[in-house]
Amino acid sequence: MSAVGRRQFRALLRKDVTSELRTKEMLVSMFLFAVLAMVVFHYAFSVRRDVDLTFFTGGMLWVTFIFGALLGLNRSFVHEKDEGCLDGLLLCPVDRVTIFFAKMAANLVFLGVIQLLTVPVFSVFFVTRGYWGDLGALLAVLVLADLGICALGTLLATISMNTRARDLLLPIVFLPLIVPLLVAATSATTAIFAQTATGDALWPRLAFLAGYDAVFLVVAWGTYDFAIGEG
Amino acid sequence: MSDRDERSGQVPARATPQAAPTAGVGGPLGAAALVVYAIVALTGGLLLAFWWAPTADEMGGFAQKIFFYHVPIAETALVAFAVAFVAGIMYLARRDARYDRLGLVAVRLGLLFSALVMATGMIWGKAAWGVWWTWEPRLTTFLIACLLYCGYFVLRATVEDESRRATYAALFAIIAFVDVPLTFFATRLVPEGSQLHPVVVTTTGTGMDTAVLVPLLICMLGMTLLFAGLLRLGVATEALREELAVLKDRLER
Repeated sequence: MSAVGRRQFRALLRKDVTSELRTKEMLVSMFLFAVLAMVVFHYAFSVRRDVDLTFFTGGMLWVTFIFGALLGLNRSFVHEKDEGCLDGLLLCPVDRVTIFFAKMAANLVFLGVIQLLTVPVFSVFFVTRGYWGDLGALLAVLVLADLGICALGTLLATISMNTRARDLLLPIVFLPLIVPLLVAATSATTAIFAQTATGDALWPRLAFLAGYDAVFLVVAWGTYDFAIGEG
Repeated sequence: MSDRDERSGQVPARATPQAAPTAGVGGPLGAAALVVYAIVALTGGLLLAFWWAPTADEMGGFAQKIFFYHVPIAETALVAFAVAFVAGIMYLARRDARYDRLGLVAVRLGLLFSALVMATGMIWGKAAWGVWWTWEPRLTTFLIACLLYCGYFVLRATVEDESRRATYAALFAIIAFVDVPLTFFATRLVPEGSQLHPVVVTTTGTGMDTAVLVPLLICMLGMTLLFAGLLRLGVATEALREELAVLKDRLER
C-alpha cells in the first residue's frame, strides 16, 4: 500500500470509528446481544443444576460472536448505502481494496471491543477454571478467528447490501462459508477452557485458522473490485 | 434487460429465431449423444459391479454395491462445482453471458449430484453402520456444500440487474469452491475423529482389486459423461430461455 493508500486507509477507518462512537448504537446492541445470548444458552443447556457446561463453552462463545458479528457486518454497509455515502466514496480516487481493508479493520475493531467486554463476563458465568496460563493461546484464537470473520464478512456484506434482500442475504451466504472457521475456533476454545489444550491439540487449529484467514484475504483482495463495483 | 432493448429497433443477433435453437444438443458430442454414452457406461459398469466385482464382506456385504454409484456421483458433484468455479473466473475476465449460463447450470447440477451423494450415502450408511446419518467429515462436507450452493440461488434471485447478478454469481461460485476443501479439512479437526469412511486412495496406490477398480472407473466415466450431457442441455435451455425473453419483450412492444 502506498503512502497515499495508507493515509486513505487511516481516514476511512477513523471515519467509521468516529461515527460509531457518536451513536454507539452498534456496539451497545452487539454487547447486549452477546450477554442475552449467554443467558439463553444457560437456560437452553442447564437442564439440571449439576450439568457441566465446560464442553459447550467453545460453541456457546463462538455462536455468540458469529451472530454478534453478523449484526455489526450488516450495519457497516447499510448506513453507507442509505445515506448515499458509498456513491461519494466510490467517486473518490480511492483504491477499492483500500476501502475493503478499512471496512474490515473497522469491523475488526468493533468485534474486538465486544470480545474484550464479553469474554470476561462469559468466563465468570461458564468457565470453572482459571485459564491465565493459556490466555495467550485464547488471544491467538480470538485474533485469528476475528480476522477470518471480518475478511469474509466484509466481502459478503458488500455483496449482500447491493442486492434486493440486503441484510436478509448475509446470514444465508455467510454462515455456511464460516463453518470451517467456526469448527476450528470452537474446538480450540473448548480445549483451552477444559484444560485439554496441549500443543498438539492447539497448533493444528491455530494453523488452520491462519490458513483460512490467508485464503479469504487473498480472495477478497482479488475480487473486491467486482464486489463493490458498478456490476 | 434494459440495455439490449434500447438499441433502436436493432435486432440483437441472439434473438433471431433461426439461431439454431438446438445448438449443443445434436451431433456426436452433443447433449443427446453424451447422455446415451453415459447410459451405456453406467449400465455396463453396474453389470460388471454385480457380476464381476467381489462382494466385500468387510464393507457391508451386498449393500456395498451402492459404492459403484455413490463414489462417481460424489466425484461428479465436485467436478460440477469446479466447472462453476472456472466459469466464474472466466466470466469475471471476459464478461461473456455464456460463462454465466455455464456457471448457473453447473451449480444446479452440482447441487443435484450433492443431494444424490447424501441420499446414496445415507442408504449405504444405514446398511453398513446402522445409522441414517453420522457427522462424518465427508458426509458433513457435502451437507455444508449443499447449504452453501443453495445460497447461490438465493443470491441470484435477489439481484435484478443482469450483469450485476452474473458478477455476484461468479464471485460466489469462486468463494464457495475455495471453501469446500477448507470445510473438509476443518471437519477432520473435530476431536472424536469419527472416521467411518474407508480410506481407499492412499499414497501407495488405490488398494483396490482390478475387479472393483474397473467397474468403478467405468461408472465414474459414465457419471461424468452424464454430467457433461446434462450441462450442455442445460446451457442450451438457458440460452433459449433468454432468447425467448427477448422475443416476448419485442412482441409486447
